[in-house]
Amino acid sequence: MHRLPTLLSGIFLVFLTSWLGLVAYPALQLGRLTPVADTDNGGSLPPTYGGQAIAGQRIYATEGCISCHSQQVRQTSITTSDIDRGWGVRPSVARDYLRDSTAFLGSRRLGQDLSNVGVRRPDAKWHFIHLYHPAAVCEGSLMPCFSDLFLVRKIQGQRSDDALNLTGADAPKEGYEVIPTADAKNLVAYLLSLRHDYPLPEAPVKKNGAAK
Amino acid sequence: MSDHTLPHHHPESGYLPVESKSIDASVRLPVIILFGNAIHWLVVAALLSVIVSIKLIAPGFLGGISFLNYGRLAPMARDLMLYGWASQAALGAGIWLMARLCGRPLGGKNAEGFGGMLLRTLIISATVLWNLAVLLGTLAIFAGYSTGVEWLEYPNWASAMLLLSFLLIGIWAVLLFDRRSTGRAEVAQWYLVAAFCWFPWVYGTANLLLVWKPIQASAQGPIQSWYCGSLLALWLLPVALASAYALLPRLLGSHLNRRNLATLGFWMLLMLGGWNGMDRLIGGPVPAWMTSAGVVAGVLFLIPIFMISINLLGMHRKEALVADSIPSRFLLMGLYALIVVGVIGAIASLPDVSGAVRFTAFTEAKTQLWILGAISLPLFGALYESLPHLLGRDCWSPVLSGRHYVLTLVGLGMLVVLMLLGGLFTGLALADPTVSFLNITSYSYPFHVMECVAQLLLLVAALLLGANITIALAGDYLLNKKTGK
Repeated sequence: MHRLPTLLSGIFLVFLTSWLGLVAYPALQLGRLTPVADTDNGGSLPPTYGGQAIAGQRIYATEGCISCHSQQVRQTSITTSDIDRGWGVRPSVARDYLRDSTAFLGSRRLGQDLSNVGVRRPDAKWHFIHLYHPAAVCEGSLMPCFSDLFLVRKIQGQRSDDALNLTGADAPKEGYEVIPTADAKNLVAYLLSLRHDYPLPEAPVKKNGAAK
Repeated sequence: MSDHTLPHHHPESGYLPVESKSIDASVRLPVIILFGNAIHWLVVAALLSVIVSIKLIAPGFLGGISFLNYGRLAPMARDLMLYGWASQAALGAGIWLMARLCGRPLGGKNAEGFGGMLLRTLIISATVLWNLAVLLGTLAIFAGYSTGVEWLEYPNWASAMLLLSFLLIGIWAVLLFDRRSTGRAEVAQWYLVAAFCWFPWVYGTANLLLVWKPIQASAQGPIQSWYCGSLLALWLLPVALASAYALLPRLLGSHLNRRNLATLGFWMLLMLGGWNGMDRLIGGPVPAWMTSAGVVAGVLFLIPIFMISINLLGMHRKEALVADSIPSRFLLMGLYALIVVGVIGAIASLPDVSGAVRFTAFTEAKTQLWILGAISLPLFGALYESLPHLLGRDCWSPVLSGRHYVLTLVGLGMLVVLMLLGGLFTGLALADPTVSFLNITSYSYPFHVMECVAQLLLLVAALLLGANITIALAGDYLLNKKTGK
């Protein structure tokens, strides 16, 4: 213990245990998980993301959505509330994150879990209004407004198809419209792609609705 | 606080070999730069924490401006606390303690010559690089370039700068140990060697696999948790404990008995420290054995904590010495905070409890107590103890130091208790699917208001420390000018 090499070898060996278990093992085992064939609809599971959703993941990361939102559904003998709350139909497993660039597991739920937000809220228009002003559709929400993901512009000729249908105090001035930027569209494409309601071999979904 | 007031110097209390003046002189500038910058980041982090906590009460506060959103400010505050303040203060305390404990000035025999000057210039450049990395990394999150990986939000170039800077500084701490002039190694020295070896490994591995060359995301969860646990338990905590082991015996006019307990505590802490973060994944998308390992490690972690506390708190102390000494009060409080952290961690990793509180403020309370309590309090102790030695005079304002101590404890205690309670309430409500999510949000409102008050107290405490060190250093500058140095 008094010579540096002895101390260093001890430190190295002890450290190696957690490193092997929690870094090397996941890298070699979980890191080599492969997609499985989708027997019902063809293709593979988990499904691949579209280009917009991949770009949207970056916005999810840079805006720090992970500070308040988790993306994992738990189900143990004790913890059933995630599924009871309708946040998913089965527990999340490692294979679910196969297509992600970063696993946004999250550690805080100041907002709801988003693993299946695309199932719960399949409407892009709802997401745009929610991002622009969360309290407009969820009264009492803690979520900040992401209004700078949108542009307020003068209506040129005809009103854009993308324009948000805002009411009350949120509505823009007469002759103006609020439209989502490319970032907002990508983010919403990503949110809509968050659907983990398909079965995997290690996480089957019970037929006839929710797996309670 | 000067050296000769102590009745005797027991070999086990280490720390005070001959020639301490030349040793202090050899590390003075780098250590003061590290501490000074650490404190200014602490103030910024505390300010951001206040803004973040206001945003939980009034989501519209500073709203609609992308770079001031909660999702950007919260990781900025956390990373500044970890890398700007705690890691940097740990580097400063670590270098000073190592040089003292090894009885050897930085640069060895050439400390006062050209070689020593060159070495100091190198280390000072590395500290500049560290602070540049923290500054640019923070600005990158601010500007929307965060990686989105918790605690590793800095972009790849900033994290690479941080690692390089650490290597340039840390290598000298390890080399000092190798060439020490004292014989038997102190407990504090083991902790320091371990900490200085681990940071590069932990930080390098995690960045490599999560940021620089991300591994397939199905494997990222365990690595993220391992990183968060290891950063606290294997880098910052060992430096905090080294400060306690090195300074407390001397400050309390006592000496460490039961060295076997210290040895066992050291190795058990190392063994379990890496597994300590796994309670972040209980019930999550990882193999079941990892979850079980998380539960077991969370509970077993209490054993080394108790061993270390019994070892250090069991020392015979002269109460009069404690009452007068801010450093020893901070160091002792840090140990008490560590015990509480251990107990909370053990409770939170029980499957029943974890199922309810894992995603609530309860878990956040534990993290806060880790960083601001078990780690920061001993580092404050080391800071208060080292600066008078480095400057060669009693430089602290006793009023400011005393207020800083009280406000830190009150603010931290308030924050942690509120978050534990708030987390427990929201956790129980979350476990009941008939309670709507927005209802739960409204339950936590009063807690968020009080948390904001606690964060304000911590900001004032940080400002007091900032004022104190500014006066201390400015006083030194003026003094030098007067005496024509």
